[in-house]
Amino acid sequence: MALFARCIQTLILCSALLGAAATAQDLQNGETLYRTLCARCHGMLGEGGEGPSLKRPQLIHAPDDDTLVSIIVGGIPGTGMPGSRQLRGEDGPDVAAYVRSLGQLPPEEMPGDPAAGELVYNSTGNCASCHIINGVGTGIGPELSKVGQRRNLEYLRRSVLSPEADQPKVVDRFRGSLNAFLTVRIVSEYGSYEGMRVNEDAFTVQMRDLSGEYYSFEKGDLISYEKAFGHSFMPGYSAVLSDQQVDDVVSYLMSLK
Amino acid sequence: MLLKSIIRINLFLLLASGSTVLADVPYSALLADEANGEDWLSYSGGYRSERFSPLGQINTNNVDQLKVIWAYQMQPTGISGAALQESTPLVHNGIMYLTESPSSVTALDASSGRMLWHFVPDITNDVLNIGFPRINRGVALLNDKVYVATLDGRLFALDAGTGAVRWETEVAENALGFSLTLAPLALEDKIIVGVSGAEAGVRAFVDAYDAETGEQVWRTYTVPAPGEPGSETWQGDDWQTGGGSTWLTGSYDPELDLLYWTTGNPAPDWNGDVRPGDNLFTCAVLALDPDTGEMQWHFQFTPHDTHDWDANQIPVLVDGEFEGEERKLLALANRNAFYYLLDRETGEFLLGEEYSYQTWAEGIDENGRPIVIPNTDPTREGNLVWPSLQGATNWFSPSYNRNTEQLFVPNRRMGAIYFKADVEYEPGMPFLGGGEQPLDGDDASGAILALDVMTGEQQWEFELQTPLWSGVMATAGGLVFGSSNEGNFFALAAEDGEPLWFFNTGAHIRTNPMGFAVDGNQRVAIIGGQTLFVFGLE
Repeated sequence: MALFARCIQTLILCSALLGAAATAQDLQNGETLYRTLCARCHGMLGEGGEGPSLKRPQLIHAPDDDTLVSIIVGGIPGTGMPGSRQLRGEDGPDVAAYVRSLGQLPPEEMPGDPAAGELVYNSTGNCASCHIINGVGTGIGPELSKVGQRRNLEYLRRSVLSPEADQPKVVDRFRGSLNAFLTVRIVSEYGSYEGMRVNEDAFTVQMRDLSGEYYSFEKGDLISYEKAFGHSFMPGYSAVLSDQQVDDVVSYLMSLK
Repeated sequence: MLLKSIIRINLFLLLASGSTVLADVPYSALLADEANGEDWLSYSGGYRSERFSPLGQINTNNVDQLKVIWAYQMQPTGISGAALQESTPLVHNGIMYLTESPSSVTALDASSGRMLWHFVPDITNDVLNIGFPRINRGVALLNDKVYVATLDGRLFALDAGTGAVRWETEVAENALGFSLTLAPLALEDKIIVGVSGAEAGVRAFVDAYDAETGEQVWRTYTVPAPGEPGSETWQGDDWQTGGGSTWLTGSYDPELDLLYWTTGNPAPDWNGDVRPGDNLFTCAVLALDPDTGEMQWHFQFTPHDTHDWDANQIPVLVDGEFEGEERKLLALANRNAFYYLLDRETGEFLLGEEYSYQTWAEGIDENGRPIVIPNTDPTREGNLVWPSLQGATNWFSPSYNRNTEQLFVPNRRMGAIYFKADVEYEPGMPFLGGGEQPLDGDDASGAILALDVMTGEQQWEFELQTPLWSGVMATAGGLVFGSSNEGNFFALAAEDGEPLWFFNTGAHIRTNPMGFAVDGNQRVAIIGGQTLFVFGLE
């Protein structure tokens, strides 16, 4: 029940966020239709299945709502997305509103001062040594330019304090879904390597080390290959930042949309 | 080499002039398909559905020298959502016949990949495909015709020489959610097809058509009407929307003269409350009299299924010694994660062994019925169960090497949170009653398994990064060819599963490999993304 209740709660909050675009009733209709027509491939929770995840703020094929509606009704040539031509009247826009709501976060109050957080990010935190925001920084960890669109307060605080706690996924449904930024340790006859997995199949693995160098290995040639689930190269900041500084940094990240 | 080329040129000339003599695929050739390495005349490479190539030119010693001989790019039709390819090509006498999504047919020169003809049925963008993608799995060949079943519910007979339509017939009404995606099965004088549509609440059936005229010969429903055998497993009018789709090509035993056809889930998929009972003959294999369609026996793998575990997997016909007795067997690795052996003469249950991780049954009892673990049905809050709705395997083909009694099974290892929801039947709309949220990322994986066909015991496994959606083919060269979502086409040693060769096609692979020979050279074919690749040594 908890999951379902959370969905409903999210919907109500989202309907407020989307303003005039969709009422709670529209979203309810959209959800019912989504579960009937879309969930089989995109998952009951929108996190993907045979089709890609829709639980993201930006959809690759649908930059605006009109496009999203036309895709829902008409499909996408050159892909597996067939469209649902049974939809009539406002059903298409209702499904679109529900799909948009899957990738939206409910509004949350910031716990601190984003301006102060930006200063911490660039000074004590030294975060730009591994992350890029709006073109500035070094790309080792994930880009954070719009992180406030897709991650909520709870997630961002956890990421700052215990970065290893979450294992986000990269989903390319037809080529396979992988945990992102997974730490791997590889030993070959040429040496030992440690970094973040970029891609992998049954025969090869591609890795990037902390200096940004890419490596590609054939698994058959390796002496050992370890996937370090639960490890992150990002340090936890509980010992580095004060509680107030953590709140400020989290607020800064929440503001990035 | 030169001589063969001249012969083939002559063949083309004859075809162009309307002669059908050399395009002939008589029934006797279909009976001999398994032993014929040059051709691949039916979906599973023969009536026993072994998907085994008897050619050994490519073998464990030289497979690492395989290279692309030619490639063919699919022809888009402009129909949205039709870019996934699941066809198994057929080859006869140097000509390849394959389907392209949604339901086109292409004939290619098997030595060069150059196109000979291309048939596009008049399917419109508003065709319904409820619960599955807009795909097609291949054609059937018989005498001078090529048969294709279409997404909008029709069966076409095409002239093998030109692709011209000889006849067409409507099998079922697409507006109700009926679709055809399977490769038809050609018998002596009949074409057998089945339908998709359980996700739209259809009452499914198996059909036989006269191969010459397209007249319907018989129809056997997979869900009984009141008063018919099995109707006691339904209540009220539930049977009318009962599902039991027949969307995968079956097998045939010419000696017993029995046709084996599998059936899919009851409808609605995930809300079993609205259809109490065992829901015969869903999630089952049926033995049918090919002349009348009469059911000789049935075996239901998953009574009252609530996870969408269709039994539409390939039934492999196996002869051999089971527990000291020579038997005619039917082997099937089911989507529900159990491997079954049946006596294919009587339908007697012989063996049911778990071959992949699952959390829904303690095992299979002596009658072949699963011992279901309580509280494993979908719920409104969501209930985590293994395997996911796409199962521990699915439609993609296993392969059987009768010499080593090894069954090679493509395996998905994935759990899912299953949901139940209210649902009302509306014609031409999805009739699901819930859904799933699969566990993905590194929580899921795939594998190729080698099982002892007589015991179901696993001999080896080759692990894949993600749950695959493609079949396997073993060969007399000691190889097992398989593929992955990540786009690799690969060869394993049949003996121990060691990887011997792989090639990155650059796109997801979601079909079955097949093999043939042209000009004396062994070839292996696979479709990656929108491209058919044909491999050989030279």
